[in-house]
Amino acid sequence: MVNTYYPTSYEEALELLNTHKPTIIAGGTDLMVRKRAWSDLPTGFDQDVLFVGQLEELNYIDRQGTNIHIGAGVTLEDIMDHFHTPTLLSDAIKIMASPAIRHRATLAGNVVNASPAGDTLPVLYVLDSVVVLESLDGIRHVPIDSFIKGPGKTIINHNEMIKEIILSGHKFNHSVYRKVGGRKADAISKLSVCMIMDIKKGIIQNFRAAFGAVGPTVVRDLAIESKLIGKSLAWLDENVEEIGKYYESIIKPIDDQRSSATYRKACTINLLTDFIKHIKHHA
Amino acid sequence: MVLDISKSINKVDNFEKITGTAKYIDDIKPEGCLYARTLRATIPCGRIVSRHYPDMPEGYAIVDHQDITGQNFVKIIFEDMPVFVEETVNYYGEPILLVVGEDKATIVSLMNQISIQYETYEPVYDYVDSKIHKSYIKGQGEAVFDKAYKVIEHTYETGYQEHVYIEPQGVIALYEPDKVSLLGSIQCPYYVKNALMNVLGCNEEEVRVEQATTGGAFGGKEEFPSLIACQAVVASKKMKRPIKLIYGREEDMAYTTKRHPAKIKIEAAISKDHEIIGLRTHVGLDGGAYIGLSGVVLLRAMIAATGAYTINHLHITGDVYITNTVPTGAFRGFGAPQMIFAVEMMMHHIAKELNEDPSTLRMKYLAKTGDVTSTSGHFIEPIIMEKMIQRAMEISDFEHKIKKHKHERINKDSHKGVYKGIGMSWFLHGCGFTGSGEQVHIKAVVRLKKDELNRVHILVAATDMGQGVKTTFRKLIAHKLNIPIEQVIFENPDTDKVPDSGPTVASRTMMIVGGLLAKAADQLKHQWNDQKEVMVEERYKQPEHIKWDDETLQGDAYPAYSWGINIVEVEVDPVTFEVTLQGVWSVYDVGKAIDEQVILGQADGGLLQGISYGMLEVMENKDGRVQQKTVTDYIIPTAKDTVFMETELMDNPYALGPYGAKGAGELTLIGGAPAVALAIENAIGKHVTRIPVVPEYIMELMKNG
Amino acid sequence: MVEVRFELNGETVIAKEDPTKRLLDVIRTSFGLTGPKEGCGEGECGGCAVLIDHKIMNACITPLGNVHGKSVVTIEAFAKTQRGQTIRKAFEAHGAVQCGICTPGMVIATESLLHANPHPTEAEIREGLSGNLCRCTGYNMIVKAIQSLVEKEGSLW
Repeated sequence: MVNTYYPTSYEEALELLNTHKPTIIAGGTDLMVRKRAWSDLPTGFDQDVLFVGQLEELNYIDRQGTNIHIGAGVTLEDIMDHFHTPTLLSDAIKIMASPAIRHRATLAGNVVNASPAGDTLPVLYVLDSVVVLESLDGIRHVPIDSFIKGPGKTIINHNEMIKEIILSGHKFNHSVYRKVGGRKADAISKLSVCMIMDIKKGIIQNFRAAFGAVGPTVVRDLAIESKLIGKSLAWLDENVEEIGKYYESIIKPIDDQRSSATYRKACTINLLTDFIKHIKHHA
Repeated sequence: MVLDISKSINKVDNFEKITGTAKYIDDIKPEGCLYARTLRATIPCGRIVSRHYPDMPEGYAIVDHQDITGQNFVKIIFEDMPVFVEETVNYYGEPILLVVGEDKATIVSLMNQISIQYETYEPVYDYVDSKIHKSYIKGQGEAVFDKAYKVIEHTYETGYQEHVYIEPQGVIALYEPDKVSLLGSIQCPYYVKNALMNVLGCNEEEVRVEQATTGGAFGGKEEFPSLIACQAVVASKKMKRPIKLIYGREEDMAYTTKRHPAKIKIEAAISKDHEIIGLRTHVGLDGGAYIGLSGVVLLRAMIAATGAYTINHLHITGDVYITNTVPTGAFRGFGAPQMIFAVEMMMHHIAKELNEDPSTLRMKYLAKTGDVTSTSGHFIEPIIMEKMIQRAMEISDFEHKIKKHKHERINKDSHKGVYKGIGMSWFLHGCGFTGSGEQVHIKAVVRLKKDELNRVHILVAATDMGQGVKTTFRKLIAHKLNIPIEQVIFENPDTDKVPDSGPTVASRTMMIVGGLLAKAADQLKHQWNDQKEVMVEERYKQPEHIKWDDETLQGDAYPAYSWGINIVEVEVDPVTFEVTLQGVWSVYDVGKAIDEQVILGQADGGLLQGISYGMLEVMENKDGRVQQKTVTDYIIPTAKDTVFMETELMDNPYALGPYGAKGAGELTLIGGAPAVALAIENAIGKHVTRIPVVPEYIMELMKNG
Repeated sequence: MVEVRFELNGETVIAKEDPTKRLLDVIRTSFGLTGPKEGCGEGECGGCAVLIDHKIMNACITPLGNVHGKSVVTIEAFAKTQRGQTIRKAFEAHGAVQCGICTPGMVIATESLLHANPHPTEAEIREGLSGNLCRCTGYNMIVKAIQSLVEKEGSLW
C-alpha cells in the first residue's frame, strides 16, 4: 500500500510534491482506469498518491487580456459551461465522454495524460495553449506542443504540477472542431480535428489546423500554416488539394482496435478540405 | 368482463430493480465464501508440456483437470470442450485452472507464481476445417440451375457480435456435505444441472441449480455458464467451501461466447422472364475452438435460407468450421440474423441487377398462407405480412422517402448535403426448437401447485433475464384462473423445486412453456379445491400435424412463425461517412401479446441490438485474440446513438399458443441489420455485402464500390 | 491521509481504507450497499453511478480519497426520497426496466440531469443518459419515462 496525501492548500501540495514525488490525482478518471485491479483490491498505484481535486485555489477560470486561464482543478463540466471558455473548447468538451466523467475529469488531467486521442488536445494546440507548471523551484510556462512528447509522455518533473492552462481567447471568423468516434457519446476518438481561419477582405490572416489520434502526438504544422497567410481565397480554392496532399504526407495514423490508418488519414483530409471548401462557400 | 390480456401491468420485479434492492450474483456473498480466478492459456494452439505450481498456503488451492471426479467436458451436445485444459490448447485464453482462496491479493500473487510451458502448433483461423456439414433440397434442388437463363451470385459476410449483457458472467457454488448447489446468472438451470452431474459423476439428487436475478443474457448465458459452473463446483467439492467465480468485463468479452461470424454465398437461378427459379446457398459459420451449439445454430441459419419468401427450388448447404479462436455460441436469433441479412440484401441485389423495383420483386415472392416452406413443410397458420407491410410503409412514409431521397441525391450540393437513405427488411422467425427438438430432446414438463392458502405456484424452469417472463407468466395464470396476480407465485427457478420445462431460449418460453401452463391452468380449474393442495402437470406433445425428418431436414421445422417488418432511415455524412439514425419503424406479428409493454420493450431492445449489429459493433480477432475487449473499444449504442422507435403489433392469434401468443424475443433482433444496411446502401448507392457497415467500410465502398 | 470522512446516504461515515481504493468497492463491500453495480470497471457503462454532491459520477473510477468531505448518495437512499419515488413510478409506467442491472444507474443519471436542468429537451435527455449503457431497452422507454417527468413533475426539481 502506498502513502496518500490530502493537502488542504496549494502550498502544502507543492511541498508534499517536492518531498514525496507522488502521482497526482485530480479527478482520477484516467488514472483509476489505468491502475484498476480485481474488484475489492487496492488499485495498482506504485508511487505515493497526492489528491489535489479539493484545492479551491486551483478552481478558477479567469480572463487576462485576450488570454483565458483555466485552473488545474476545474472540472470539464464547469469549463464547458463557463462564459470565458472559448467555443471550440466547449464544443470539444460537450461531446467528450459522458456527464459522469465530465463532472470529475479536468482539463489538466486530459493534458498530462497525453493520450494521442485526448479530445481537448487539438483545440489546445490551435489555441496556442501554454501549460503552467509549478514546483517549489518556481514556475515554468511551457507551450502545449513542447509539453507533450509522445503517448503518455510529457516534460513534467516529479516535483511539479500543472497550476493552470492558458489559452487564447481570440475569436476566429471560421472555426471547427470535429471528433469522429465509434459512437455519438462515451467514445474514444478515432480521430479529431480542430481548425480555424481568419479572413479579411478575401485574404487569409490566420490559419491553424491540429489533428488528434493520427500520430503519437497531435499534429500541427506551423510551416504550412504560415504559407497560407496572405493568400487569397481564390488561391485557396486552387490549392485545396495540394494542401490536403501536404497534410497527408505528414500525418501517420495507425491501425488499431478502434479504426484503420487508411480511414483515419482519409477522413482527416476530408475534414480539412471540407472546412476549406466551406469557407470558400461562406466567405 | 375479462380485460384484454395485452393491456400492460406494472412488472412484478420493477420495484426491487429500480430501488437497487434486487440481488444479482455479485451482490451475494455466502458465509465462508472463497474467491476463484482463472488462469488461461497464452497460446492459441498447442499443448502444455509442463506446469509449475507454487506451494500453496493453507486455505488456498489450485483446481485443475485432476480434481474432476466425473468427466472433463462441458456437457451440451458434443463431448469436445474440456472444463479445464488437460494438455491440448485450442484457443487463446482457454481455462487451465482456478486459483481459489479467501484473500484476493494472495490469489493474484499465487497466480503470478504459476508457470506453464507450451509447445505451439500452427493455428487455424480460416474456414477450412469443417466439423459439421448439413444440406437439404427443396423441389428440384440445384438441377433447376440447368434451366437458368442467368445466375446472380453474391457472397455476404457478417462479423462477431458480443452480447454485452451489462452484468458479466458469474456463478457461486454453494457447499453442503451431500450436495452441491449452484447459484448463477443463467438462462437454463437444467443445462447447468446436467453439466454438473457429468463433471462430478454424481446423481440427480446431489446437484441443485438455482437462478439468481440475471442482468441480461441474450443467449450469452445459455450454454456458457455451464463451463464456469462446472469449474466452481469442482473447486467447491475440493475446498468444502462456497466458491464465487465472477468475470470482469474484459475477461467476459475476450473469453466468452459470441455470435458466429458467417460467410454466406447465394446463387440465384434466374429464368428468361426474370423469375427467381431457385437458390443455391452455402453458409459457413466460424464455430471457434469447439462445436458447442454451432450445429443447431447452423441449422436455424440454413432453414432461414429464403427468409420471408417462397422460392420453389433450393439446394442449401452449410458447414461449421472449427478455428483456434474463442468458441462462438448462442445469441438471440441463433443463426437467423446472419441469414436474414444475406437474403434481404440478395433480394435487393437481384432486383437491381434485373433492373426491377425491389419492393415489387420482393412482393412477388413473399410467403403466403399455405405456401411450402424452405424445408418443404407448410405455412399452416395465416400470414398477414401484406397488411403489415402496408402499415409499416404508411407509418414511415416509405415510398415518399424513397423518391425524395433519390431526388435529393441527384441534386446534392457536394459539400453541403448528406446522403439520406431508407431501408426495409421483411423477416420471420420460427418459434421454439428447430425440428423435433421439443419432442425428442426437450420434452418439457410444467407444473402448477395450488397451496392451502389458495396461492398458485408456477413450477417451471423458465428464467427471467429481463424479458419479463416473471410478469407475463403470472399474468397468464392469473387471467386463466381469474385470480389476482398477487396470488400467483413464480420464484427464480430452483431445480429442486421445478420440473425441466426446457431452456429459456429459442423464443419458446411463452408459446411452448406458457402454452403448457395455460393447459395446466385449465386442469387446475377443474380440480380446484379450496381446502387442499392441488398439483397439476402438463407435458409437451408435438401437434399431430407437425412432421419433421432429422435426417433429410424435411418437414415442418417449426410449429409456428412470428413475422416482422423493420424500416430504418439514415443519414450518412459525406465527409466522415458516419451514419446517423433518423427514424425506426416496425410492425410485428407475434400472435398475441401477453403484455403489450413487455413486447414493445423486446421490440425496442431487440431492434437496437440488430441495428447496431448492422452498423456499429466491430469485433475482430488478431492472432486468435479478441481485439475489442472493453466497452470502450467494442461499441454498443448509447441513448444518443438512437432515436424514438415506433412499433406496432398486429394480432394474429396462434391456436396452440396461450391466448394466441407466439414467440417474440428473437424476432425483434433479426431484421435490424438488413434494414440499416439497406438504408445505407440506398443512401450511398453502392452494394453493401457485409456488416457491420461502419464508416471505414463505407469509405472503402465509396472509393472502390 | 489517515481516514476518509464523508457523508454516505445522509450519515457521516469514516472509511479507514486505502484512499486509492475504488469508491465502488468501499460502498459495496464495507457498507453493504449493492445497489451500484460493476458493469465495466472503467467508467463507461454507468452501472456504478452514484450522486456525489448531487452530480452523477462513476464509483468504479472514483478513488475513495476524492469523496473526503463530500456527500455520496446511492440508489438505496435516493430511491426513498420523493424524487426517487417519482422517478420510479415513471420508469414503472413506461416499461423502462428490463434486466434491471443498469436501472439504478439510470435513475441516478435521471436525478443528476433533472437537478441541473428540470426541463431538458429530448436531445438533452439522451445526452444526460449517454454515460449509462443499457443493452435491453434500446433506451426508448427510459427516454419516454423522463419526458413524462419533465411534463408532469417538473416542479419537483
